[in-house]
Amino acid sequence: MRISRRTLHILAAVLIVVLAVGLYKAKSDASHAQAHVRDLHGQIEDTEADMRALKAEIAHLENPARVEALAERELGMRAGSAGAALPESAIDRNLPAPRAPALQPSAPH
Amino acid sequence: LRPFGQTTLNFAPSPALEAAPARVRVRFLAIALFALLSLLAGRAIQLAFTGDPLARTQGAQTVPAISRADITDRNGVLLATTVRAYALTATPSRVWNADETAGALLRMFPDLNRADTVRRLRDRERDVVYLRRGLTPAQREAVLTLGLGGIGFETEDRRVYPQGTMAAHAIGFTDVDLNPLAGAERGLDAQIRAAGAVGRALALSLDVRVQYALETELESAARAAGASGASAILLDARSGETLALVSWPSFDPNNAGAAPASGRRDRVAGDLHELGSTIKPFTIAMALDEQVTNSAETFDVSRPFALGRDVIEDHERIEGLASLREILARSSNIGAARLALRLGAGRQRSFLQRLGLLSPTSLEIGRNQAPLAPQAQGRRDVAGIGYGYGLATTQAALAGAYTVFANEGALVRPTLLRRAPEDAAGRTPVFSPQTTRQVLSYLRYAVTNGTGRAADVRGLQVAGKTGTAEKLGEGAAYDESRNFSSFAGVFPASDPRYVIVVSLDDVHAGQVGGAVAAPVVARVLTRAAPMLGLRAEPRAER
Repeated sequence: MRISRRTLHILAAVLIVVLAVGLYKAKSDASHAQAHVRDLHGQIEDTEADMRALKAEIAHLENPARVEALAERELGMRAGSAGAALPESAIDRNLPAPRAPALQPSAPH
Repeated sequence: LRPFGQTTLNFAPSPALEAAPARVRVRFLAIALFALLSLLAGRAIQLAFTGDPLARTQGAQTVPAISRADITDRNGVLLATTVRAYALTATPSRVWNADETAGALLRMFPDLNRADTVRRLRDRERDVVYLRRGLTPAQREAVLTLGLGGIGFETEDRRVYPQGTMAAHAIGFTDVDLNPLAGAERGLDAQIRAAGAVGRALALSLDVRVQYALETELESAARAAGASGASAILLDARSGETLALVSWPSFDPNNAGAAPASGRRDRVAGDLHELGSTIKPFTIAMALDEQVTNSAETFDVSRPFALGRDVIEDHERIEGLASLREILARSSNIGAARLALRLGAGRQRSFLQRLGLLSPTSLEIGRNQAPLAPQAQGRRDVAGIGYGYGLATTQAALAGAYTVFANEGALVRPTLLRRAPEDAAGRTPVFSPQTTRQVLSYLRYAVTNGTGRAADVRGLQVAGKTGTAEKLGEGAAYDESRNFSSFAGVFPASDPRYVIVVSLDDVHAGQVGGAVAAPVVARVLTRAAPMLGLRAEPRAER
């Protein structure tokens, strides 16, 4: 089968149109993608800023002075030291006396 | 009518002649189209295999750059960070009523100046005026709910210090435009900006746990002694890393402008003091190293030592002959003065230079005060420097000098930056290892049997020297009722690794280093030993 010259011209023209439309579409998609990337970067920056603020809040809440004050006020605990530790041989004598095991409640029938 | 016979004119070209140019054009078009398609296909194949380099560049920027990096301690605890804040602005041409607007803002921010705020709100010559900087998101929301016309906001960065007053002098602070003003913020400004540009944090050598123990014990001791100020520094002597650095009183760097000058004053690297007896170990080490004495020699220090019109005395008279060990343990001024005089001014100054006591220290803290170290003019000056007078330097420089006792006689300069394990610190040889070991044993004796007994902690083998220097009073005379009392030492003596210096300023007569500074060392080390990988022995069983 022989393709006429006119057909070839039409095919070439169609190809060019298809390429032009494709190029437009690709550029348009790229533009949308770039806008989306910009949005994402903005979101990342916002999230990073929020994270930094939260990290600062965590560090403030974990401040040793604050934790020590809370532990003392709420739990009656005070900062200890290795020097205040009892020697191993003295541990038994300083532990409270063992209590008799409580009677186990009978299993429900 | 046809004079020339068949004269039919045929202007239409022959089919062959007509087709030739068109064919050429079509071929050119086809070739161009083919080349274009080939180019596109080639690029498509290239992208398929190698990816889009532009996209890769954008993808790499996952961590946004910030103007100043976070600062952390050596274990990653956050010390300083940059958060989003808002500047409160106004467009004067859109403000309906300047008085009412100022009144509403003052109810929210009582520290605003009313007259100044009204003046700015009426300043129609400016498009935008700034009313207040560094608003938090919550404050911004609160202002928005007021619905004030012409009031707006601009996003800005704000530096915050979540640990509050802790390590305030070491970390420092910036102004509202993030320009560094003090501490590591200033001393490490270039590194902080460089780390911020790549979204990384900058790690200091500080350990918040040790810092807290040192701060609380120092503050407690300073208040009990009625001191006007206090300072302390704890170094890893092998690497020069500063694990804790305290100046008391402290301040909140989040609101540095409101702190009194005495609170902002850095007493570790910024204050100069005559060192007192903490310099005596160096005098003895110099004498041993220069072989002007030896460990077997004894000295008669039982009588005051006359030096021209001056008389040098000991606080506590030592009967009989005293060895070098006794001279150090009982802090004999007479013994130290005699040793210094044997050395002479030249050798003494050379050693002091190599110990870093005649130059500002290397701490990256923004401002390191240069020492007051006049050239010794005579025997009196040389003797005075030998037992701690006539040379004023910083506690940071003293701590740096004490690193020689943990490094076989070599000096390691202090730093505020965390070092990588493979990053070896520079070492400057000052004394021989034999001399250093000898003096170290004397320093240990000074703690077990001498003036530093209150610094002893079972199991930690603290070795060190107390110091008590009278402060200069009116008329350049020494005031016996005002002391600068300190303790400087290394531990554990069997394998020294750490240096600690504790000082209390402006304490009263009788509050000597062994009574007010040495106990702080014991209490701090008892608390901090586990954090340093050491073990204080449990108390004796009762």
